[in-house]
Amino acid sequence: MTVKSTSLKRCSRCGLPETYETIEFDQYGVCNICRQQEFKRDKIDWQERKRLFEALIEEFRGKYDYDCIVPFSGGKDSTFTLYHLVKEYKLKPLVVQFNHGFMRPTLLANNERTFKALGVDVISFTPNWKVVKRLMREALIRKGDFCWHCHTGIFSYPMHVAIKFNVPLVLWGEPSSEYTAYYDYSDNEVETVDETRFNRFVNLGITAEDMKGMIEKDFDLDPRDLLPYTYPALRDLKRLRYQSVCLGSYIPWDVKRQSQLIMDELGWQGDQVEGMPPGIYPYEKIECHMQGVRDYLKFLKRGYSRVTQMTAIDIRNGRMRKEEADILISDWEGKRPPSLEIFLEYLDMSEDEFNEIVRKLVVSPFQPDFQAIQVGSKTPDFDKWYRETKT
Amino acid sequence: MSIGIVDVGIGNIGSLRGALYSQGWDAEIITKAVDMAHVTHLFLPGVGSFAVAMRRLHAAGLVDPIRQHAAKGGPIMGICLGMQLLADRGVEGGVSEGLGLIPGDVIKFKVASQLRLPHVGWNELHPQAEHILLKGVRPGVDFYFVHSYFFDARRETDIVGTTNYGFSYPSFVMNGSVVGVQFHPEKSQRNGLQLLDNFCLWDGAC
Repeated sequence: MTVKSTSLKRCSRCGLPETYETIEFDQYGVCNICRQQEFKRDKIDWQERKRLFEALIEEFRGKYDYDCIVPFSGGKDSTFTLYHLVKEYKLKPLVVQFNHGFMRPTLLANNERTFKALGVDVISFTPNWKVVKRLMREALIRKGDFCWHCHTGIFSYPMHVAIKFNVPLVLWGEPSSEYTAYYDYSDNEVETVDETRFNRFVNLGITAEDMKGMIEKDFDLDPRDLLPYTYPALRDLKRLRYQSVCLGSYIPWDVKRQSQLIMDELGWQGDQVEGMPPGIYPYEKIECHMQGVRDYLKFLKRGYSRVTQMTAIDIRNGRMRKEEADILISDWEGKRPPSLEIFLEYLDMSEDEFNEIVRKLVVSPFQPDFQAIQVGSKTPDFDKWYRETKT
Repeated sequence: MSIGIVDVGIGNIGSLRGALYSQGWDAEIITKAVDMAHVTHLFLPGVGSFAVAMRRLHAAGLVDPIRQHAAKGGPIMGICLGMQLLADRGVEGGVSEGLGLIPGDVIKFKVASQLRLPHVGWNELHPQAEHILLKGVRPGVDFYFVHSYFFDARRETDIVGTTNYGFSYPSFVMNGSVVGVQFHPEKSQRNGLQLLDNFCLWDGAC
């Protein structure tokens, strides 16, 4: 039995469906994500927030080997964040990059240009690939989200660096309130990027300690292999007098303006992503060559994907009408990405096994129709992506 | 800087010590006068009876050192019974003299029959005034309470915050560098830990 994505209940304003994480609809059928954006636009005192930010950075400026740590992927948000901190505030950051293993050529070129144009020190960390593969398999089976290593690595590793390098201030980019309601703009609070947040949604409910128990029976694991995914002890962070916050809690986040800025000022280039209408959202999720599989999983489990999310943002900001969005969604969403083949190679898994796993993790009331899946097209850099073909 | 926790066998030191430890603070245990020598920040926890607690403090020779610490403007935080000991007098276990650091008496709740004693559970702290120790703590958030007696503060100006249990009573009192909280910050999650942090960073000035 299948339940089509078109029969899901949706926000009367932006179109996000009932299967969207944390979504709620009010008596007008408008979702909490829309309402949060209203609050952000109309009720937050951004002047006051800016003052708070300026006071915050002065507490740390010049006192340590670096003024702050900037966790960095090279996507539009972290690139803008780095640009803003260096150019607007003349901070001396330590850029910390967690290499998930799937960085695309355009991204790497962007990063080189960005680092050289801004003049910053950069640390990049690449975790053990064999461990990563086992983690992806476990996360896929348990959650239908194979990115556990990336979610946890991105948020834990920079905190370890903060402790090791004695740099207490960690500045992130977009607040999660831009997308979900785990943290609500209407709370009118700065979003602290701490262990509470990590456990609330970042780690998918699985700590490194949990993961150790889950994989050690069949995998030759050294417990230290999971350190990059382990949030450091609060005590160690507190002794550092750490502060870990989002720049987006102090300035109103505006992806269109910010993406344009980094394109103009840094020559940052967008890229084509599998499953997305070409040319319309060139700035979104361009970092990772597994993005297509991520978005495909989202579609199979929840009946919507990246196109719905992007058009929802445009509709909310009055940049697109619902009718246009619906056409883009029906033309582009839900196709099987070419990168799935690569992913299955990494995990030595067949597509049938993959579908079986996903079937168990579908979010009600959606039910995917595995018989009706169309095939999507490759991106220009597909042949450059790392393969593990069995010979 | 040196944090001391008074231990005369009348309190659950473990929770407080653990809470401070997780926040990056190391605390010494104070059992006798000589332990007070280098203490800059003093905690006076307490669970049990006012009269017994005061007898124990006297026996340990700690009453004078605590009063001297207050006289010098050293930060002191009394928690639960520890807060009550800061008063002039308590009636639990017979009338006895307290440390006399914040004017007031400790008397038993007289509440309507529907409200049980002890007052146990989460309840709201309503600040009457701004205080540096409440930085980062929103008005009206909950803290964890367990008590049957309350601090009847003599001066309105010494009351930083109140809580309602049948009536409004002082749950956060202060006189100079001496503060008392009726609730258990070490058991009160984020807001309690924030309060402990603020205290450890405080120099005692108002």
